[in-house]
Amino acid sequence: MATKTKAGPTKYEISINGKAATVVEGTYLLKAVMDAGFNVPTLCHHKDLTPNGTCRLCLCEVEVNGKKKLVTACNYPVRGEITVNTSTEEVKKHRKNLAEMYLGRWPNVEAIQNIAKLCGATDKEKYKSELTDENPKACILCGHCVRACSSFMIQDILGFAGRGIKRHLTMPFGDVDPHCVGCTSCGYVCPTGAIQITDDMNNPVDPELIRRHGMKVNAEMATLDKLQNRMREVGTANIVEVMDAYDLLPVHNFKFGKHPDTPKIDSKVMTRDYFTQGAADACWLGCSMACAKAVDGFELKTGPYKGQKVVVDGPEYETAAGGSNMGGFDLDFIVEYNFYCDTYGIDTISFATTMAFVMEAFEAGIITEEHTGGKKLNFGAMDEALECLHEMARGEGFGVEVGQGVRRLKEKWVKELGADPDFLNDIGMEVKGLEFSEYVSKESLAQQAGYAMAIKGPQHDEAWLIFIDMVNNQIPSMEDKAEALYYFPLFRIWFGLLGLCKIVWNDVAPADNSKYPPQEAAKIPEHVENYWKFFEGMTGIPVNEEKMLLQAERVFNLQRLMSYYFGRGTREDDLPPLRAIGPATVEEYLSREERYDKQMKEEIGIDPEGKTVEEKLAITRDHRFKQYNIVLDASYKRRGWDENGVPTIERLKQIGIDIPEVLALLEKPEQ
Amino acid sequence: MIVVNNKEKLEWYEGMTVQDVLDKMGYVYPRITVSVNDRLVQKEDYTTYEVPDNASVNVFHLAHGG
Repeated sequence: MATKTKAGPTKYEISINGKAATVVEGTYLLKAVMDAGFNVPTLCHHKDLTPNGTCRLCLCEVEVNGKKKLVTACNYPVRGEITVNTSTEEVKKHRKNLAEMYLGRWPNVEAIQNIAKLCGATDKEKYKSELTDENPKACILCGHCVRACSSFMIQDILGFAGRGIKRHLTMPFGDVDPHCVGCTSCGYVCPTGAIQITDDMNNPVDPELIRRHGMKVNAEMATLDKLQNRMREVGTANIVEVMDAYDLLPVHNFKFGKHPDTPKIDSKVMTRDYFTQGAADACWLGCSMACAKAVDGFELKTGPYKGQKVVVDGPEYETAAGGSNMGGFDLDFIVEYNFYCDTYGIDTISFATTMAFVMEAFEAGIITEEHTGGKKLNFGAMDEALECLHEMARGEGFGVEVGQGVRRLKEKWVKELGADPDFLNDIGMEVKGLEFSEYVSKESLAQQAGYAMAIKGPQHDEAWLIFIDMVNNQIPSMEDKAEALYYFPLFRIWFGLLGLCKIVWNDVAPADNSKYPPQEAAKIPEHVENYWKFFEGMTGIPVNEEKMLLQAERVFNLQRLMSYYFGRGTREDDLPPLRAIGPATVEEYLSREERYDKQMKEEIGIDPEGKTVEEKLAITRDHRFKQYNIVLDASYKRRGWDENGVPTIERLKQIGIDIPEVLALLEKPEQ
Repeated sequence: MIVVNNKEKLEWYEGMTVQDVLDKMGYVYPRITVSVNDRLVQKEDYTTYEVPDNASVNVFHLAHGG
């Protein structure tokens, strides 16, 4: 009986060799048969590749509405209640005949011999002909390599040419295709050895080890990505709408986490109207994830290249979210500022966060048109924001001031305009002089610390813990958070040092990753292991979690000490602005009043009833800074730093970097 | 009353499914793992799996972003 519910997938009760099985609509029959515990011979099937029914060996008899027919199980999707028989006399006869034909053509290929045995075919002579190839490593035209090139690499370097008995494997026009990057996927999936791999680049100690783990990633990209984060289709921008749904998308200088206009800039619009699809648009050719996207033929509306059609690399999530942060819910604007930031050599995040700060200051009356060169810089003033960007590049006008970044603007406006320093410090989204990247961190203590403690400033590449902390509630205690703030920055620093990309760590996950307990699952253990094996395969040195953390911790502590030496590495440098940890204005409090009131009652233990918004704002502020300082203390302790956030000599000894040159950094801080 | 991720409380009603809980919580992220009273629920069962009263529902979002 078919079970259909409102939004869920349809399931069918089917019968396989008399055994009942429940199958989700669309499941390929071969999988259903295997899952039910029956074996069906096949030559061309590969678990990670799109099925194509080439070898015909997986023939099964299917009965639909009383009518029986033979189908190739590997590419037959179950779409109804069916009765399946995997080994009728007719099926067995066909399989045996097919196997004899294979045996006649490629008698010495081991894969063929095994299949022949399974199908009861022993006569090598029956189909012997002038086509017979005695080579034990002959190509058997299974097409694994062709599909691997296409599914793993999004390339079509390999293909078949010729029809019938003339069918053969080739590159375009029978020539070596210069676009082949030598990824070795084809050789890896070849079941006969017809494609041999020669490893002659970079001299890794164990190329096989690297390949085994690299191919796992390729397979996940080919099979799971479309069901998970769609990195190939949209890249990092896939989370624009996700962040909006979770109240995490920065809007109007991080005041809010969502906006009704987000659908105008979400990944659906990017995919439909902007990104060029179907190209292997990776940041480097040969990456199976290929998440870097491009907008082709984009006509610029402003600036020195106005009217010209250009290719724009992006937008990535952060650039799109920079748009919402400035109130620019228009992808034309986002793509344009993306292009000009790239062209001028300006970071899109720093530009967007600074501009959003400027816009809030303008709306608050701290600066006026008099200061901005006549530009009305309200949120959503996209033309004016672009003009600031062009001025910045030309080195003239108000744009030059914007180019100084949030920290210097705060100092300047306090000094020259008499602005309220408390207000500017509360809303100015920078730490250590670097602008925040584009996530709202208000409801995640661990993320706040991950941002503000990051050595280079509030960049999330040390620890992105929002989901683990705020949504999953997996690290509820301060010690849990401190542990996450210990492990994740070290892991990320470690693979960063090796020059390995972050995206293949957690933007796709193994299908069975949920078999681990949640805190382990968050690390994606099999992907961490991939990185270890890449290291071991390259260097010959095995690595595990303990060794990895030690290697990373040495570098991390050295970086912290250098920051300390240059006057940016103590507790006061790890403190976030109020807006990063909670509501900073009445408007903001009111926008999430129910949430904040509830927290006041349940977490702080104060009844919000009868209090003014200003009073509630002050109570929330006080509580959140206290909480932040507690997590900071716990993190410093876990890292072996003193309460001022400076690595202790004892810790430096433990990790083996208590050498004079390093210790000297402790003794002579230069302010 | 049910508890989601040991934190959020939701009113329970007869016939409440896992999908109803996800909708109520606004959990739209594609890479999640759901367990009800420590029992893993498969994605294809979200719309049919009924959540009992007083259940502890864990919706684990796999880290992403950054």
